[in-house]
Amino acid sequence: MKYKVENISFATLALILAIIPLLLELNLLAGGSTVIFIGKCMSYAIVAIGIDLIWGYTGILSLGHGLYFGLGAYGMAMYLKLVSTGGQITDFMHIGGLEELPFIWTLFKYLPNTLFFMIAIPALVAFLVGYVIFKNRVKGVYFSIISQALTWAVYSIFISLSPYTNGNVGITGIKSLFGSVKGDANRANMYLLFYVTLGILILTYVIAKFLTQRKFGKILIAIRDGENRTYFSGYNVCLYKTFIYVLSAIITAFAGAIFVNFNGSITPSEMTIEFSIMMVIWVAVGGRGTIIGAVLGAFIINIGQYNLSSGIFVEIWQYIIGAIFTLTILFFKGGLVGLISEQSPILIKKFQQKQEQKQEQEQKQEHKQTKQKSEQIIITKPKEV
Amino acid sequence: MLETVIDIRKISVNFDGFQALTSVSAKVQRNSIHFFIGPNGAGKTTLLDIICAKTKPTSGRVSFFSQKHNAISLTGMKEYQIVRKGIGRKFQVPSIFENLTVGENMELSLKSHKGIWSSIFQKPDPQELEEINRVLNKINLSDKINVRAGTLAHGQKQWLEIGMQLVQKPEVIMLDEPAAGMGKSETFKTGEILRELKSECTIIVIEHDMEFVKQIADVVTVLHEGKVLCHGHIDDILNDPTVQAVYLGRGKGNE
Repeated sequence: MKYKVENISFATLALILAIIPLLLELNLLAGGSTVIFIGKCMSYAIVAIGIDLIWGYTGILSLGHGLYFGLGAYGMAMYLKLVSTGGQITDFMHIGGLEELPFIWTLFKYLPNTLFFMIAIPALVAFLVGYVIFKNRVKGVYFSIISQALTWAVYSIFISLSPYTNGNVGITGIKSLFGSVKGDANRANMYLLFYVTLGILILTYVIAKFLTQRKFGKILIAIRDGENRTYFSGYNVCLYKTFIYVLSAIITAFAGAIFVNFNGSITPSEMTIEFSIMMVIWVAVGGRGTIIGAVLGAFIINIGQYNLSSGIFVEIWQYIIGAIFTLTILFFKGGLVGLISEQSPILIKKFQQKQEQKQEQEQKQEHKQTKQKSEQIIITKPKEV
Repeated sequence: MLETVIDIRKISVNFDGFQALTSVSAKVQRNSIHFFIGPNGAGKTTLLDIICAKTKPTSGRVSFFSQKHNAISLTGMKEYQIVRKGIGRKFQVPSIFENLTVGENMELSLKSHKGIWSSIFQKPDPQELEEINRVLNKINLSDKINVRAGTLAHGQKQWLEIGMQLVQKPEVIMLDEPAAGMGKSETFKTGEILRELKSECTIIVIEHDMEFVKQIADVVTVLHEGKVLCHGHIDDILNDPTVQAVYLGRGKGNE
């Protein structure tokens, strides 16, 4: 029953998303930038599903998923950049003193290779990191700190290797896989990219849903709730954790690659710790432990940011986000979805009970009053006599 | 009948200078209920930790003589490997998966589908589901199969955890204070459950409740300050003057 509600909610969301390009055609939206923004939100929602699988279900809090997002995004960006230069070396390589295309860039010269390496590299990193950490049973906050430190290190490397990565500026001036998506003339490209992304979002949702509903998903929850017990139920917990961590990294890398197509550039700021923590906030606010919660969280926070982080709110937006996150952690552990599906029914029940009690009390009071009145009458009656 | 299933030989453990166990030896007979008793800090839980590889001994070894495979040394194996060989463990604090239903808790404990692939693509067969129902009947939880385990009463949680050991069809099951926090009638019922299980597997128990020990124990080993104090039938143990001095006497003194 609960699963059905979740699936129906997601189907509704997917339908709404599918209509958005139509709204643009009917001139109900301000411009193509809104569609591009929603496209980015879809890539964020894919990230959120990846985070939810490891955090919401397995209890692994990664504060460094920007690393995998960045690796996927840079992989795609390198290919797209080479498409725009015709396979020649780029300006920033010239400036950096390189004469030939560096080896790492040659891996991303063709699309099939790119699709392979943009997944394989983050997957390999996640496997090595995850396996070593989980094998040694590093847990909880220690894992979070390691994941952060690692992301910070890679971020620094990407900035310092500017002949290869263009440092702080990042890889810019690229078109999407389907050609430019900017401007009214390229709307067809934009729609194609939009619907492909929607398809990938739906596919990711279906895979995540399938995994979590099988026994596999129950084992993830078991690891979250009692890792020790899971070992003593005969499971090789380290393998499960590594598997789900790598899967999560792959999903995130894929989302990064999609993001680049919409964004037209990638900078190291997409692999910072701040951005990694934002990902966790999406999931926390939407509701960890439910896939739909993660997806909704990504949309709500980003749409909020898009609309509020300009004008008077630009200065205080960060505080608003922080406050929402803190409140969620303190009072609504299940996030928005938990609020709707668990906490509000309890509140309604309590409210109903209170009202019933009130009614009962009122009835009792009325009863008492009538009794008192009748008693008074009885008492006063003799006086009258 | 007198067939050794677990042979603990000269186990010593040293935690950073603290000698938790000193040359502890014991033999556990097949299809018996074997109690380890002793005052707090005697090393009972540590001994169980060693059998199931949660703790590594400084010296000594534990051998497991199974009916299904050759004798193996448990020392140096991983905990999940030992579980798969047929030794189950129930912890002192009820550790069940609170957010899963009773049925899901049992399903996770089944002997098959321990790998990632099979946990994704396979489902328990009818035989295994029947086995789950059989065990749930035994532990009086068959009407709670779809209830979230976290909402069970304390005693029911303990039984569920025993049940989770049973569906693994272990040859040996180790229980750390299974009757802790239970009332008298619940404790007695736990004892009856265990007594019924004796025909299926060997049971090792740690317990403080002497009534409970008297109710079901076949063999009792008394530990004191990390050493075996004595070993034998419960009546002999209770009459042993040294045991009375270090353990029972002190227990009475505390009361």
